[in-house]
Amino acid sequence: MRRNKAAIFGLAIMAIFLGLAIFAPVIAPYSPDEISSAGASPPSWQHLFGTDDLGRDVLSRSLYGARISLSVGAVAVVIALLLGTLAGAVAGYYGGWVDGSIMRAVDVMFAFPSIFLILAIQAMLTPNIYNVMFVIGLTSWMGVARLVRGEFLRIRQLQYVEAARAIGCGDLRIIFRHMLPNAQGPIIVAATLGMAGAILTESALSFLGMGVQPPMSSWGNMLMDSQAYMRDAPWMSIIPGLLIMVTVLSLYFIGEGVRETLSPKERHAGS
Amino acid sequence: MRKFVLNRLLQIIPLLLGISLLSFLVTRLAPGDPTALFIDPNIDPLELARVRANWGLDQPIFIQYLVWLKNALLLDFGRSYTTGLPVITEIGERLPMTLLLMISSFILTLLITIPVGVISAVKKNSWFDNLFTFISFAGMAIPTFWLGLMLMLVFSVKLHWLPAVGNLALPLITMTIGSLAGLTRYQRGAMLEVLNQEYIRVARAKGLPERVVIFKHALRNALLPTITILGLSLPDLFGGAFVIETIFAWPGMGRLGVQAIFQRNYPTIMGIVMLSAILIIVGNLLADIAYAIVDPRIRYEKK
Amino acid sequence: MAIAMDFDQEGILRSSLNGEVSILNPVLSTDNISSAVEGAIFNGLITFNEKLEVIPELAASWQASKDGKTWTFNLRRDVFWHDGRPFTSEDVVFTYNAILNPKVNSVRRSDYIINGQPIKFKALDKYTVQAVLPVPFAPFLVRMGMGIVPKHLLGGKDLNTASFNRRPVGTGPFIFKEWTSGDHVTVVRNPKYFLGAPKLAGIKYKMIADDNSQLVALEADEIDEAGIPPKDYERMKKKAGIKVYDYDVLLYIYLGFNLANPKFADLRVRQALAYATDKKQLVDLIFKGLASPASAPTAPISWAYNSNVPKYEYNPERAKKLLKEAGVNSLEFTILVNQGNKEREKAAVILQQQYKKVGVNVKVRVMEWSALLKIVNAPKDPKEFEAVIMGWSLGLDPDAYSIWHSSQYPAGFNFVKYSNKKVDRLLDQGRLTTDKNERKKIYAKIWQEIAADQPYIFLWYPKALTGIRDRVGGLSKPGPAGLFVHLEKVFIRNAQVRP
Repeated sequence: MRRNKAAIFGLAIMAIFLGLAIFAPVIAPYSPDEISSAGASPPSWQHLFGTDDLGRDVLSRSLYGARISLSVGAVAVVIALLLGTLAGAVAGYYGGWVDGSIMRAVDVMFAFPSIFLILAIQAMLTPNIYNVMFVIGLTSWMGVARLVRGEFLRIRQLQYVEAARAIGCGDLRIIFRHMLPNAQGPIIVAATLGMAGAILTESALSFLGMGVQPPMSSWGNMLMDSQAYMRDAPWMSIIPGLLIMVTVLSLYFIGEGVRETLSPKERHAGS
Repeated sequence: MRKFVLNRLLQIIPLLLGISLLSFLVTRLAPGDPTALFIDPNIDPLELARVRANWGLDQPIFIQYLVWLKNALLLDFGRSYTTGLPVITEIGERLPMTLLLMISSFILTLLITIPVGVISAVKKNSWFDNLFTFISFAGMAIPTFWLGLMLMLVFSVKLHWLPAVGNLALPLITMTIGSLAGLTRYQRGAMLEVLNQEYIRVARAKGLPERVVIFKHALRNALLPTITILGLSLPDLFGGAFVIETIFAWPGMGRLGVQAIFQRNYPTIMGIVMLSAILIIVGNLLADIAYAIVDPRIRYEKK
Repeated sequence: MAIAMDFDQEGILRSSLNGEVSILNPVLSTDNISSAVEGAIFNGLITFNEKLEVIPELAASWQASKDGKTWTFNLRRDVFWHDGRPFTSEDVVFTYNAILNPKVNSVRRSDYIINGQPIKFKALDKYTVQAVLPVPFAPFLVRMGMGIVPKHLLGGKDLNTASFNRRPVGTGPFIFKEWTSGDHVTVVRNPKYFLGAPKLAGIKYKMIADDNSQLVALEADEIDEAGIPPKDYERMKKKAGIKVYDYDVLLYIYLGFNLANPKFADLRVRQALAYATDKKQLVDLIFKGLASPASAPTAPISWAYNSNVPKYEYNPERAKKLLKEAGVNSLEFTILVNQGNKEREKAAVILQQQYKKVGVNVKVRVMEWSALLKIVNAPKDPKEFEAVIMGWSLGLDPDAYSIWHSSQYPAGFNFVKYSNKKVDRLLDQGRLTTDKNERKKIYAKIWQEIAADQPYIFLWYPKALTGIRDRVGGLSKPGPAGLFVHLEKVFIRNAQVRP
């Protein structure tokens, strides 16, 4: 049961971060873009997390960055889930050539090194926050599709689905009312991992200068900007680095907790 | 089984066509062109138009695609705009370096993953399990470029143990830490699942020694997801390593590809995408076949 | 004076490159990374000294005819290709004709075409080359630094695809040895070099694209030479074993306005923005003061520099007043900046805050370089941008026709649509005048006109900061030409005499 403690801890952290992100304009002591000729200064009472190379308050930027990073993660994962679940459900439910062609499309997408696809699409769309969300979502739905399809292939053999079909339920009803709820465990797990992945992907994109663009701050681009200052102003990189790590860890723990709670096999294993 | 393999092989053709068309369109629709990079007040824009025409870029895009396709069928992927080398040669120079890094990382990962995953599953919720759960999650949660730079600062600048650039050690460690986590989790999860299966209980009930149960019966089946994940992580071979390659100045495919995209070096982009697509498809196919061999329950001719 | 034993005969310079070498053929290469390596392998007819003055290299001397149209170059007779064959006038004519060949993908072709007519190159005898220009052209001589390639290896071959481009043979101080794609290029001493055998046994150029990694490699004693980011300047200066050099380069960075856009049509608006620009803050925050505020489209180290131009010192009150006079109540525009260039990104962010103080709202849009150039270079009127931060690296000749002449719009590099009859006339005149002092006066007038019009706000002149390990000696005086002007004189100190 220790895992569930970790999951609750993760949930608590995410709730706090979410709250901080939502109330950033109220909490932030400074404007996140306000520069000062003083340049980078270490943490002090005026600036709890110090200031960055342009003299901007790192705390305020982190708070506003939370809004950006969390929403990039959330929106990207929602896009990926919608696409993935839809594709996977249809493929798994109908099987046959429908399954075949959808899975081949998944293969096509998988066959692209995702970073190339992201870069090419980013180049086409010019990088801004919406496109970052869209592109990450668009290139990460395939895992979900495979997973949901797998679940569906399994579930559709189960008696209650056969029963539902026997009493004449429509396809859509069977998919959405009977099958999808039974596949939600893995989907939730995939969602938490996906969100964690999206936050990391945004930071990797920032490394290439293709992530969320300045002056908007995301944890990813803060971390990227800080890498040149790792020795002179370590607080610039430690803060966003920790924020990303803690967030991603929390999401993993939540996912792990959900996995263990929902998986019936694990449940009787634990007892 | 033979029918299944044959069927899958046939599917490769439309798959590759689809991939080539999609990537051709995506790269050409991105604004900019390869000569745009030569900005210099001394260069007459007419000269750029001339170079573009020499490369055939003044043709309609579908003609360009057909020309590319025709040559590609003859295994001629054209010449890189920046180096003038045949794309095949250009990729061939980089591939061994990428493979070296990837394969050593795969091996190192497996060497750590399998025992750790098994022990974690068998001794579920022990301190060992919890410690490695935390370590592997932490490894997954650190952005790669940050981890890489930290390792470099510690091992090259402070301790002088390992060279910062052009050496296998640091990129290998960085990459392995990144991929360790995922695989360990999968291995542990799969192992747990298998250990709860009826036939394992039966084996145990029969009084087989625990070692035999775990290594002979359970691990064999629990390797399945690991195989799948390995197959699935093949695309990273080409793109995923670019951050590591850039930081540690490792001359692999990731850097070549990312640079080609920024430079709009179309022939090189297409070459890399096609090559990686082929390798990935073959990789998936092999993983599926391996799956079928290990797990006879999977049947392929469903309908 | 250095005697033979003062340096390590086997010493190899571990140089570093900020990206990948793409092609080692001066006719075809377009990036300065490849050019850096080509500099060790090839020679031009002329070259430049530390002060950027033209000095002889493969040409021992030259004369121009009275009308300035015919130039005769007398070549050195003691030069050999790395494969042992003698270098002759045939090679020179071959090289320039290759550049002029439309089938060869050389973007340098327009350097040798004047008013639509190519320069004619002729070999008068084995060691004499003649160039005939359609009209006198002041920037001609400085363009004769192009690396010469061997006819006997490339004649009759398709230059674009020749295997030579990967295994080059030149006349320079170093002989090409090996090239590992994306990793390094090695060159070794040319014992028969016509200016004397180099003191280095060779140079290994390591390709390290990431700036931080380059710095770390320098600190870890894996390379001898690397660029230093301004913020690390002080720290590196204190570091034992490394000496840091700073010097000016021929480059300026600017904020350019699209004058075809009504927002910027009024001179007072541009002046107001100029007054609202705190260049000192830019330079302090981005470069820790290791750059200087700019005020004209030239650089202080150019011989045609003139500081007597309108300066628009920081004065936000004046800016507000001018905006009011121009009847501008609310001004909002977008600055484009290319991604990957942290300095310009930061500049955009700082300018945004500075302009906010005078009530001007700026949006920053970061774009991929190629996509940005597409917008700026597309030959249409009007172009789809409002303002852009870019930089011009200046040639050795002050000629700036392609940037400021009104004929260079919409196709050409006058993408801001600057149009000033007086400047047009002066630019034409500057090209035709050969007397240096006369030209200096002409360009001084051009800079004044342009600075007054503020089609660009000139932001800063960057500095080059280079860190070199102490074991390296024989560097040239720091200057815009770099520290390795005389590559054959660079050496590695013997271990025992290292400081």
